[in-house]
Amino acid sequence: MIEVLNPGTRTTIQDAGRHGYRHMGIPASGAADPLCFALANYMAGNRWDAPALECTMGGLHLKFLEDTTIGLAGAHMWTQINGQNVENFTALPVKKNDILTMSFARDGCRAYIAFARGLRAERFLDSCSTYIPAKLGGLEGRALKSGDRLKTHNRPCEAPRKIPLGFAPALSHHVVLRAYHGPEFEQLTQESKRHLYVSPYITSDKTDRMGARLRGNNVETKVPISMTSSPLLPGTLQVLPNGQPILTLIDAQCTGGYPRVLQVIKADQWLLGQIAPGTQVSFRRCFDDEAFDILKARNSFYSTLIDGFSF
Amino acid sequence: MPFKAPQITAYGDSAVLIDYHSPEFSRQISEHIQSLAAGLREDGVWLETVPAYDSLLCVFDMLQTQQSEAIAKLKTYVKTHKSRNKEGSKIIDIPVVYGGKYGPDFDAMCEALNLTPDALIKAHSEETYLVCMLGFLPGFCFLSEAPPRLHHPRRPVPRTQVAAGSIGIAGWQTGIYGLDSPGGWQIIGRTPLTMFDAKKDIPSLLQAGDRLRFVPSTKEIFS
Repeated sequence: MIEVLNPGTRTTIQDAGRHGYRHMGIPASGAADPLCFALANYMAGNRWDAPALECTMGGLHLKFLEDTTIGLAGAHMWTQINGQNVENFTALPVKKNDILTMSFARDGCRAYIAFARGLRAERFLDSCSTYIPAKLGGLEGRALKSGDRLKTHNRPCEAPRKIPLGFAPALSHHVVLRAYHGPEFEQLTQESKRHLYVSPYITSDKTDRMGARLRGNNVETKVPISMTSSPLLPGTLQVLPNGQPILTLIDAQCTGGYPRVLQVIKADQWLLGQIAPGTQVSFRRCFDDEAFDILKARNSFYSTLIDGFSF
Repeated sequence: MPFKAPQITAYGDSAVLIDYHSPEFSRQISEHIQSLAAGLREDGVWLETVPAYDSLLCVFDMLQTQQSEAIAKLKTYVKTHKSRNKEGSKIIDIPVVYGGKYGPDFDAMCEALNLTPDALIKAHSEETYLVCMLGFLPGFCFLSEAPPRLHHPRRPVPRTQVAAGSIGIAGWQTGIYGLDSPGGWQIIGRTPLTMFDAKKDIPSLLQAGDRLRFVPSTKEIFS
């Protein structure tokens, strides 16, 4: 068992998400950065999709009530065990009564802490992912709070594993996302079309798992558009009537009523989970089948390490 | 088909959008979209099918299918699909308290539309509505068109909190909020019914294709 001493800014239990229910209005949720989540599980000796903790921005303190192994990946939060610094992107053995503390996130937004054998959590529609707006999954469908006790499964797992050099992604305060034009892109002014691909945007503090509000050059449509509610996915860039863009993240609502001007490619969507308030976001245009080749290359790289994982 | 063929285009690298670009609400198109989506779900190869009023987003597995294949497949499917809709589904009554603290925009809307409170309630509740789709959040029901004299734009600034069960108007759209959530619709009333309950086998009270009627009620239904 693990006791939560301090949940930090926001910590939830996540897994690979509940897919295939958007027609019921239920977003997939799941780890906002599935790559770092999978790496944390791999290091802890688990299947890549075992339920683990997602700590947003930092501040998480845990006390271990039994010996176990954890895998640590994602944003660098100056993690310590009993006051001793530990390396990010490593597997760590911990003893009963050890205390893990995470400070404020540097270079990224979310850290993943996986526990050997995986966390036990409430299942809903084949997933333990916490979705706070509808109180689904995780622990009572909410963020962790002080005093919560987390249990792990009894099933066997592999020994802790290291990840070879080069597999830990480099995170920074500048995220570059490759994207295709969205359905309403052609309705933008010439100037706005150019701005989208050349000028960087800064993420505002109005950012959560649903979306990130961006600040920068205004993006305007040639004429005001009044849209009926239309489908959305994570990684869709929408423009509000005031010209400021909003990028949907992993908990993206299923439909929205604003023009959809860009769609981030699948292979870059893991980065959406590392966008913190203040992060600079730039978009690069993708052409033709480029995204398919990028995904194939990325998948074949990581699937040599993590069994069954794909972006 | 009584309507023109849809545009079928790539949406990012892993989805395809089928869009009928209907300038106004069309019950036929909405029902056709639901029928298309239900057929695709039976196929079992699509990761998500997200229906809206006049468009449908289909997410495919990039490891199995190329985008050009997915588009071609959907073009053939749309051309050959015969709409099957649930006929004669029963009409569900939704009790509503209009106005007061349950409908914070009710009075302003009466004034803006030049309707007496009774006239607004009568207009909104004498219609039988079709549930066109669910989402944006769990339990939210997008309904068929409100009577034309109730059409009213969204609030200029969305509310940060709208209570679950709230009934709103946005342009020609009317709908029911499933959860406490942010929202920009004009709220005219609220129902005490639980629209979304994760503990039930079928968590949403209403499904796309259901028909419903609003029944004006007194505030005692909340106690």
